[in-house]
Amino acid sequence: MKPAPFDYHAPATIDEAVALLARLDGEGRDAKILAGGQSLMPMLALRVARPEILVDLRRLGTLDYIRDEAGTLAIGAMTSKQAAADSALVRRAQPLFQAATELVGHRQIRNRGSVGGSFAHADPASEYPAVALVLDTGFEAAGPDGSRTIAAADFFITYMTTALEPTEILTAVRFAPFPAGRRWAIEEFARRNGDLALAGVTVTFDVDAGLCRNVRIAAFGVQATALRLTAAEALLEGRPAQAAQFDAASKEAAAALDDPMSCIHASSAYRRHLVGVLTARALGQAAARPH
Amino acid sequence: MAIEIPTLPEQMPNDASRYVGKAVNRVEDPALVSGTVEFIDNFSLPGMLHCAILRSPHPHARILSVKVDAALAAEGVAAVLTGEDVGRWCNPCFTAPEGWGNYCLAVGKVRFVGEPVVAVAASSRYLAEDALELVDIEYELLPPVADAGQAMASGAPLVFEERGTNVMLDRTYTWGELERVFAEADRVVSRRFRWNRVGANPTETFGCVCRWDLADNSLVCHGAYQTPRFMAIGRAASLNLPVNRVRIVTHPQGGGFGGKGGPRGTDIAALLSRKSGGRPVKYIEDRMEYLLAGGGQSWDRHYDAALAVKADGTVTGFRVRLVDDQGAGAEGYGTISAAKPLAAFTGNYRIEAAGYELTLVATNRAPTYPYRGYGPPPHNLVLESLMDCTAREMGIDPAELRRRNYIRPEQFPYTVPSGNEYDSGDYHAVLDRVLQMADYDALRAFQAEARAAGRLVGIGVVNTVEPGVFDWNAYATVGVPGVGVPEGVKVAVDLFGGVTVAVGFSLQGQGQFTVASQVAADYFGIDIAQVRVATTPSDVAVPHFGQGGSRLGVAVTGAILGACEKLRAMFCTVAAHVMQAPEGGVELRNGCLRRIDAPEHSMSLAEIAGLMLSRSDLLPPGIEPCPEATYVWTAPNRNAPDDQGRCRSYLTAANATHVAVIEIDRDTGRSAILDYFIVDDCGTRLNPANVEGQLQGGVAQGVGAALYEEYVYDADCQPLVSTFVDYLMPTIHEVPMTKKDHIVTPSPVSPLGAKGCGEGAIHTTPATILCAINDALAPLGKELLETPASPHRVWKLLHEDGAAA
Repeated sequence: MKPAPFDYHAPATIDEAVALLARLDGEGRDAKILAGGQSLMPMLALRVARPEILVDLRRLGTLDYIRDEAGTLAIGAMTSKQAAADSALVRRAQPLFQAATELVGHRQIRNRGSVGGSFAHADPASEYPAVALVLDTGFEAAGPDGSRTIAAADFFITYMTTALEPTEILTAVRFAPFPAGRRWAIEEFARRNGDLALAGVTVTFDVDAGLCRNVRIAAFGVQATALRLTAAEALLEGRPAQAAQFDAASKEAAAALDDPMSCIHASSAYRRHLVGVLTARALGQAAARPH
Repeated sequence: MAIEIPTLPEQMPNDASRYVGKAVNRVEDPALVSGTVEFIDNFSLPGMLHCAILRSPHPHARILSVKVDAALAAEGVAAVLTGEDVGRWCNPCFTAPEGWGNYCLAVGKVRFVGEPVVAVAASSRYLAEDALELVDIEYELLPPVADAGQAMASGAPLVFEERGTNVMLDRTYTWGELERVFAEADRVVSRRFRWNRVGANPTETFGCVCRWDLADNSLVCHGAYQTPRFMAIGRAASLNLPVNRVRIVTHPQGGGFGGKGGPRGTDIAALLSRKSGGRPVKYIEDRMEYLLAGGGQSWDRHYDAALAVKADGTVTGFRVRLVDDQGAGAEGYGTISAAKPLAAFTGNYRIEAAGYELTLVATNRAPTYPYRGYGPPPHNLVLESLMDCTAREMGIDPAELRRRNYIRPEQFPYTVPSGNEYDSGDYHAVLDRVLQMADYDALRAFQAEARAAGRLVGIGVVNTVEPGVFDWNAYATVGVPGVGVPEGVKVAVDLFGGVTVAVGFSLQGQGQFTVASQVAADYFGIDIAQVRVATTPSDVAVPHFGQGGSRLGVAVTGAILGACEKLRAMFCTVAAHVMQAPEGGVELRNGCLRRIDAPEHSMSLAEIAGLMLSRSDLLPPGIEPCPEATYVWTAPNRNAPDDQGRCRSYLTAANATHVAVIEIDRDTGRSAILDYFIVDDCGTRLNPANVEGQLQGGVAQGVGAALYEEYVYDADCQPLVSTFVDYLMPTIHEVPMTKKDHIVTPSPVSPLGAKGCGEGAIHTTPATILCAINDALAPLGKELLETPASPHRVWKLLHEDGAAA
């Protein structure tokens, strides 16, 4: 269980890193970016991933921050998940993202795993992509032509695939302000504490005069990538924030899913069922949350 | 000279125990917590090469060709080992029953996914793994035997063609008037059970460093060996070496639990050393290798079982048919583990007749290996689940039904129908204590309330007997000869009064070095810090076995006491001579050799040892200048089995009763453990903290087997579990810290009255959890008779007819 041979680079600046990636891409070489290594290193050891070159971002030093940029929460891509989970600013500004972060793995994993690495890795069972979909997270990428921002809806393409080009580096994630009073919850079902979820659901909505508004529901762990459950959202939009409506939306959430994944721990039918259960729980929990 | 081994701590030559019976800090721990223990992966020799193994991707295939030229030419590669070498130099590993073994590398065909096919020794593990990618093997796929049912079907493909069948063993044991008790029963309660494959997963996988001395034609193997002497004999047999040319140096191990399949890795590393001119070769099994084929798979069982019950709830008969999927051969002695239930077949009960139909079959799954408990945990699950089914059918409280059937305290020593003799026990007292601790009536009231609210809450009350101190005679009927398992030590007193206990085993986690230190320190009345326990290589150690079968704490205590008794006699003779006391006029007491008629005249241990080593002129005739003694303990009063396997096998019979409270989430099928209580009785508790550690660890593995762990194979016999992402070991989050209490019924026959307790709760926990789950399901009229009770499995059961919708 040792990696196949690879070349290793550890650039000192973002510009250097971007130039290096551009050069390697031009040479037709297969480079992979190493951040916290919590997913990539085991894949290398199993020789499941065998890039020719690793570009290690851990010497950059400039992508490790959590800050308030005029009401927008910005988190540097190399910030550790545990730092995000522990941050009072994150907890205040983006309580759902903070709660989701605590569900990732175990503390040891969160200590080494980076926020940006998880988004860029785009594991279908990861909490992050689903949360990004409901929070409208923006992804800032640096490339040879400068920086661009990619919206969450455009970022996650399919199984472990994002809109990032091979020459781009994810440098930061930005969260639009989370309105006061907005309801939120994240519910997942994993075999053990800290395992990747067999299924998970996250929700946000506002309650205006007793009616649900701006309903966002996203699921993870059920298909190749996280997805919005738009049929369920539509069913709940403008309806009373009550158990009967939540139940109806949950049933719709489960029923409308296209062909959930199957594995030794959960069949497709069981995953579909779990999405319904978790949606109901998340909606109920969000509605009951003091705000 | 007959040696009397003390059967109670009070019989030791001191006024009061300072260490035995106390939660003494473990002597092993300072090195463990400071990271100075030499685990095998930390160990290197000059010029050492690293081994990597290419394994079969197919469950069953003929090997048509093997091309290794490119690998041999690769950077850093010193040697490549193939089946051709192995076929020339080796024998298949020996097995019980005989003749169901594979070579260490596949010869001619592969029989399971993960079977080693080619091995490389290179200057680093990286380069060795790179070289494996250059090996070219051509296979002809054969239809696999995917499960036990297929194995027994007529016309099935054969795993071992030369055997002409896939059935390794098929025999029936009948104990007592089985047909009569079933004919006379008022009720027969029968069920089919499926225990899916689980197994040991120590923190440290197997590893070794082997060096074949070509001049001397001898072999030294350093490694994580659980049973060093056994390993030496096995290596000699498979590698065609004289036993006295094989030295096994066992290093401290990061856990064992029975599953480290050392033979294959050792033979491969040894042969690579031979092929590379005698350079040492290190093999460290990685987790994927371990999970696929390393010895961590056990107990793949199909049960069909019944109880014969009288109208008053008296259970008179127990019949079990077991089909045990051994996987591809008997190399791991999974066969033997199917025989171990004979030692406590009928559990805690006065069941007068029993029967066991045992069928062991070969399939193309990985070979099965020992796992903590070595067979009874699934058997106990069957017996205890049937007791619960009986209680439900008859409307009797499950605790009460058990109580009615217990062996009564005055009936000990008690011979069970399957032949073993239980030394002592008080099952009623254990049950009373645990029900009181759990407040059983209140639990049942809570359950009634929860059920009324629609919740699925269940309570399991399960008791088991843990056969302790294993003996080979338990396994004679499945092809293992012999009576008695020697465990030897050498105890030496140095001229400063320090005591060294030389043993044949190394650290594995259970704290036996601490127990050894406690016993030696108390016997000689010295501070525990003056005792040193040291591991001896297998070729020079006195006969020994090591960890296994809940025996070592008891066995090493017996061996130390035996050696100490010999030293006492010798020291008393010497002291009487130099103090001019009459023969027999000196006694050992509190670490001093003193005149019985004038206790103020005494000699210390240091004075005696110093005198023996340096003043031969003062020694009495016939006494050697050697203040040392060896003693090889084996359990007293063992006998050979009769034609139905009956014998006095395991020396001690510890017992425990567990109470678990479980709630099933109807929506997801997940079972949550709300509370867990244990009362056990393992006789004298030599170190209560050690006992508690063993118990809690057994609970963890029991929780794993009951709820999480499973080696899954698909219909084509491909393993679907090869990492810890899919093989779900319970973590600290999933394992309840159980509430524990105990009673003490000393063994009348074992050293210091201690009973084997190393396997502990794994005997009891799986059954307790499954019984609680079925108690929770009872209002729905459903039963789960398969392990593990994964959420998906329970959910399917709940929803198969819309019952929980």
